[in-house]
Amino acid sequence: MSERHAGVSRRKFIAGAAATSGAAWLAGGARRVAAQAKPTITYWNGLTGADGKVMDELIDQFTRETGIKIEQQRIPWADLYAKLQVSVPAGEGPDLALIHTVEVPHFASDGVLEVIDEGTLGNKGFRAADYLPATWQGGTYESKRYSIALDVPQHVLYLNVKVMKEAGLVGPDGRPKVPGSRDELIAMAKQMAKGDSFGVAIGTVGPGRYTWGFHNLLWQNGANVFTPDLKRSALADPAAIEVAEFWGNLFGPLKIAPPANASCRDAFIAGKLGMWIAGSWNFTGLRDAKVEFTAAPVPRLFKQPVVWSMPHQFTFPKPRAADAAKRDAAWTHIRWMTDHVADWTLKAGQVSASRKAHSDPRIAADPVLRVLMSQGANWQVGQPSPRWVAAENLTRPVIESVYIAQKPARAAMEDLARQINALPV
Amino acid sequence: MRRGRRGGTVSRRSWLTAYLFLAPGLLLFAAFRLYPLLDGLRLSFTNARLGRPAQAFVGLANYERLLDDTRFHTSLYNTVFYTVASTLPILAIPLLLAVALNRGTMRTVLRGAFFFPFTLSVVTVGLTWLWLLDPVVGPFNYYLRALGGPARSWLADPTTAMWVIIVTTVWWVTGYYLVIYLAGLQDIPRDLYESAALDGAGAIRSFWAITLPLLRPVLLFVFVTHMIGSFQIFGQVFVLTQGGPGDATRTVVQHLYETAFQNFFHFGSASAMAWVLFAIILVFSVLQFRLLRGHTEY
Repeated sequence: MSERHAGVSRRKFIAGAAATSGAAWLAGGARRVAAQAKPTITYWNGLTGADGKVMDELIDQFTRETGIKIEQQRIPWADLYAKLQVSVPAGEGPDLALIHTVEVPHFASDGVLEVIDEGTLGNKGFRAADYLPATWQGGTYESKRYSIALDVPQHVLYLNVKVMKEAGLVGPDGRPKVPGSRDELIAMAKQMAKGDSFGVAIGTVGPGRYTWGFHNLLWQNGANVFTPDLKRSALADPAAIEVAEFWGNLFGPLKIAPPANASCRDAFIAGKLGMWIAGSWNFTGLRDAKVEFTAAPVPRLFKQPVVWSMPHQFTFPKPRAADAAKRDAAWTHIRWMTDHVADWTLKAGQVSASRKAHSDPRIAADPVLRVLMSQGANWQVGQPSPRWVAAENLTRPVIESVYIAQKPARAAMEDLARQINALPV
Repeated sequence: MRRGRRGGTVSRRSWLTAYLFLAPGLLLFAAFRLYPLLDGLRLSFTNARLGRPAQAFVGLANYERLLDDTRFHTSLYNTVFYTVASTLPILAIPLLLAVALNRGTMRTVLRGAFFFPFTLSVVTVGLTWLWLLDPVVGPFNYYLRALGGPARSWLADPTTAMWVIIVTTVWWVTGYYLVIYLAGLQDIPRDLYESAALDGAGAIRSFWAITLPLLRPVLLFVFVTHMIGSFQIFGQVFVLTQGGPGDATRTVVQHLYETAFQNFFHFGSASAMAWVLFAIILVFSVLQFRLLRGHTEY
C-alpha cells in the first residue's frame, strides 16, 4: 500500500467523520421515531390461572420482537364482562379483549364490540379454511364478525389410573378402560363408588350446578337451551328432560357422583374419583400435582358424541375515537399470537382454534393434546343468543336442585324454560 | 345578642365556621352517599341497563315485577330466616364470653384469640370453611367419619346449608361484638356489684339485675347493627354456596347483585330491590329503637 493512499487528509477525515456522525444520527433518529411510533395497547382478559403467566411470557416475547407494548389487565371473567359493559360505552374500554364465545352475542347486540369487516380480516391473513367451523362461526353474530378465536377450551374425560386399577378397570396393558356408552359408564362408576370415593363426576368444582357439563349432555342428546330460531327455550322438550333425569340420578339414586358442592378436582387428585369429565384447562394442573392419569375423548352418553367447547375470542371493544395505530398494533398481536399459538398450546394446555398448529410435532407428541385435537370434529359451542349468558345463570340453581333431588327433573326444566322465556329480548 | 365587628351575630359566625369545618365531610357525604342513594331511587323507576345510555321512565313497573319474582320472594324469605335465626347466637355468645373474659387471668390472650377471626376478610373466612366442610376431602367430614358420626354435604343440603352459614358468621363476628360488650361492661360501676353482693346476690342474680339492664344501650347497638348487617348478607353466601343448593341460601343482596351485574345488567330492577331492602331495614331499625329505647342511669 503506497504512502499516498495510506494517509488521510485532515479535510477528508473531518468530512468522513461528519458523514458518519450524520448517518448515525439519522439512523438513531429513525430508530427513535420508529420506537416512538410503536403504540402501547391495553389488553383485558380473564386468564387468572396458570395460563396467565404463560400469556405474560408470550406478551414479553411479542414486545421484544415487535416493539409494541401491551398493558395487560387480568380480571376474573365475570368481573371482566361487567367492566367491559360499563367502560366501553364510557369510552374507557381496552384496545383488545379476550372473551368467551357465548359473550359475543350480548356484547355485540349492546354495541360494545366493533364489527370486523371481511376485507380487513382477509388482509390480516385470517381465513375460514384455517379454522374448524364451530370456532370460526363462534365469532359471528347476526352474520357480522366480532371476534377471532384464539384457542378451544373443551371437555375431556380424565381417568384416574390408581383408582381404576384398584377397581379392576384396566386393560391388559395396564391402561384404564374407557366407557363406550352411558350404561358402561354407570357400570364402571358403580364399581368405583364406595364411601367417600366416587366413580364419575362432571365439572371442576360444584358438579351440581355445572352448566357447561349439563349443556354438553344436552347437545349430545340433540337438545339445546333455545329452539333453533332462538325465540323460546327448548329446555322443557323431552330430550332436555331426559338429560335432566340422568343428571338427577348421578348423585341420588345411582350414588356414583360426588355431592353437589364437592371439589371434583381435589377428589380426583386425592384418589377419590375414578372418571372425571372436565375442562381441558385442568390437565396441566394434574401433571403438576403428579397424579397418574390418562385422557380420553368425552364418551357418547346420549345420541351423538358432541364435546362442549368454549373458544376464547379476541375482540375489539368500541373505542371512544378511532386510533389506527393502536388498532393496527392490536391486529399485529392477534396475528402474532395466532402464528405462535403452538407455544400457547404447549405451555397453557389450550388447543389452538387455528388448524395450522395442530400439525406441530411437539403438540402431536403430547398424549392429552392429541386427544383434545381428536375431538375437533365434535366440538360444539353455545347458541348465538344475547340471552344465552342470562339463561345460563338461571340454569345453575335449577340443575343443582335436580342434582340433589330437591325438584323432579320435569318440573324443574319446565320452570326453568318459563324463567328463560320471561327474559327480556 | 353580642355583635361581631362586621355586624353579624356571634352565633351566625359560629354556625358559618362550623359549616365550613363540616363542608369537606358534607361534600363527600353528598357525593358518595346521598347522590348514589337518590340516583338509585331514580333508576328504580326506569328501565336502566348498565352501559346503555338510553333510559325510559317505567313508573312502578320494576316494583310490580318484584311481586311476581318468585326468586326474589325466596331470597327475601332466606334473608329474614338468616336474620332471625342468627340474632340470638350473635347477641348471646359474645355477651357470655364478654362476661367470662371481663376479669381473670389469660383474659387478654383469650380476647385476642376470639377477636382474631374478625381480622380475616369474608372471602378468607368463606374459603377456609369451604375447605373444612368439603364433603369429600374436607377434614370436618373426615373426623366425623372417624368418630362414626354422620358425614354429609353440609353446604349441599338445603336443610343444613343456611345453618352452616350462620355458624360461620357467628364464628367470624363473635370477636367484634365481644369487644363492644367488654367496653360496655367496663362502664358499669363496680360498686353496684359490691352492693349486690352485700345484699346476698349471686353471680346469676347480678347478671340479670345489673349487667343486662345496664348493658341495654350496648345491646341495642349490637342488635341494630347486626340486623342491618344481616339483611345485607352477601359475602359468606357468595363464597360458601353461591345461593345454593338450588336457591336454599339465596339472599336479597345476591339476587340484587346478579340482576345488576350478571343477568343483563338490569340496574332499574336491581335498584328497586335495593330500595325495598332499604325500606325493610328502616322499618326494623325504627321498631328496634322504639322497643329498646330507654334511659340508663348509673
